[in-house]
Amino acid sequence: MTEQAFRPRVGTGAPVLVARDLRKRYGSLQAVDGVSFEVPEGEVFGILGPNGAGKTTTLEMIEGMRPIDSGSATVDGVDVARDPRGVKARIGIQLQASAFFDELTLVELLEMFGHLYGVACDPARLLADVELTEKARAKVPTLSGGQKQRFSIASALVNDPRVLFLDEPTTGLDPQARRHLWGLIRQIRDRGHTVVLTTHYMEEAEELCDRVAIMDGGRIVALDSPQRLIDDLVARGFRKARVERLANLEDVFIDLTGHELREGE
Amino acid sequence: MAGLRHRFELFWVLFVASIKMFVRNRLALFFSLFLPLVIMLIFGVLNFEGSTSVELGIVDEAQTDASRALVGTIEGIETFDVTSGERDSEMAALEEGEREMVLVVPSGWGTGPEFAELTAYAAAGAQQDAQIGSLILNSVVLRFFAGATDLPATPVNVETVNARELGYIDFLVPGILGLTIMQLGLFGVAFSFVQLKRTGALRRLFATPTPPGYFLAGQIASRLILGLAQIGILLGIGMAFGLNLVGSLAVLLGVALLGAVIFLGMGFAVAGWAKNEDQAAPVTNIISLPMMFLSGTFFPREAMPEFLRGVTEYMPLTYLNHALRSIANEGAGPADISGDLLGMGIWAVIAFVAAVRLFSWE
Repeated sequence: MTEQAFRPRVGTGAPVLVARDLRKRYGSLQAVDGVSFEVPEGEVFGILGPNGAGKTTTLEMIEGMRPIDSGSATVDGVDVARDPRGVKARIGIQLQASAFFDELTLVELLEMFGHLYGVACDPARLLADVELTEKARAKVPTLSGGQKQRFSIASALVNDPRVLFLDEPTTGLDPQARRHLWGLIRQIRDRGHTVVLTTHYMEEAEELCDRVAIMDGGRIVALDSPQRLIDDLVARGFRKARVERLANLEDVFIDLTGHELREGE
Repeated sequence: MAGLRHRFELFWVLFVASIKMFVRNRLALFFSLFLPLVIMLIFGVLNFEGSTSVELGIVDEAQTDASRALVGTIEGIETFDVTSGERDSEMAALEEGEREMVLVVPSGWGTGPEFAELTAYAAAGAQQDAQIGSLILNSVVLRFFAGATDLPATPVNVETVNARELGYIDFLVPGILGLTIMQLGLFGVAFSFVQLKRTGALRRLFATPTPPGYFLAGQIASRLILGLAQIGILLGIGMAFGLNLVGSLAVLLGVALLGAVIFLGMGFAVAGWAKNEDQAAPVTNIISLPMMFLSGTFFPREAMPEFLRGVTEYMPLTYLNHALRSIANEGAGPADISGDLLGMGIWAVIAFVAAVRLFSWE
């Protein structure tokens, strides 16, 4: 029961994110080495690559979280080097290690973030959107992994961002929680937010992303829709050693254990 | 958009969040607020039995039959623990805190037919004992002259003398105040901040358009307010155990604030340098433990060997404890503790510079 959800739904609007020749060096390591790409409004854009490929550094430069050595990035027409706070006001960020203040409840945290973004926010609605309504009075350390990631996304939606950045949103989640989060990300896209995410899971990229950039050694080595990248590879004469099976082990796992979320961990 | 009101609102939101975080964090609460309280309660209870008798010095300069009879009567009263001596030595003992009251029988007293007034000097820090003492002395003298006419209602004129404190509680409370300020600044900041740094909670704040300075301001303000509240609680409990606050509360709080600046600066310096709690813990302990025991918190520094006294004289908590004690016990004003204030000022600058140089958000 593979959900083959490839949508040939390449960008519907003008580019909302433009990165031009971004570079970042740490000592002798050129972490990001001339990265350029555009993300049109309404797209889910994936950045793939092995550890140390420069994915997170690229995102952090665009988000205004890390100074840019050279190159430029604009979000919604705002240059991040000139106005990092203007960019931060227009985007939502879910960090790889998403931690919050352990002593505050989810509602208190969302209210605080509302003030930090300078917007009026409705914690109840935000929590309902990520299905955490019954956890409103809970504190983050009592949440399961999937619930934490969902809360982290809720906190990134406080300011109704033009672009939502998700850094490895499903790492460490069980298959049920991962699928649930995919559904949530699609809903967010459908509500008009542009989504930029990094992931180590190719299956996830195929499921979610309209286009993906594959990074290695600080550069983008390929950028296209997942289907086109696969077609290109096949056209170059690539054949899998073994013909694709009709199902894989994850399909068996989901078939046996269902889609139902398990939050009791 | 960034109007003054908006700025204050941001600060206020982060201040309230910071207070909530601190109050709900049991570990931080225990080490910075509860522990000093427990220490004081324990020492307060231990000290309790000592203050039932009044240490009275008698200077009999008259040496008449009448004066000797009076002294004999007073010596027979259980409430008094009487020592006789010369005026100079007895007054010195009063100022040193070895007597709570000194009764002087002036020369020529009881020789003439008319009544002569007696003067008693009471230590300012021992008001309760002085009150009991003067009540009893007055009634003794009144009975002594029973039958005489024109006696004033209070034949013993009591004068208050600024004197070093007697009770251990009076020594202890200023020390505990100093200790609390140190713990709140050093531990209350270093650990919570390093934790926020390590887990990435601080990074999440940078992802918002609000400058991080607001968060810092909220943290500092919350620690200062909590410190003030704690000082109030400690003074209140201290008074229940017989503490006498001689000096001005305003001066005391001002000095406490200066101390808080020093230790908050040190806390932020450690928090800025350390990457995790395992790095922060030994450093905060290396800074705080010697001061806790060598800066005159629990026992007088005079009891320490000479070389230790010299070394520890320049520690920030030594200055703070000495200043707080001078204010509380002797009613010292800012001019009387200028040396301490200078030492603390230098430490405040050192701590501030260290905090600015070492501080980092990541």
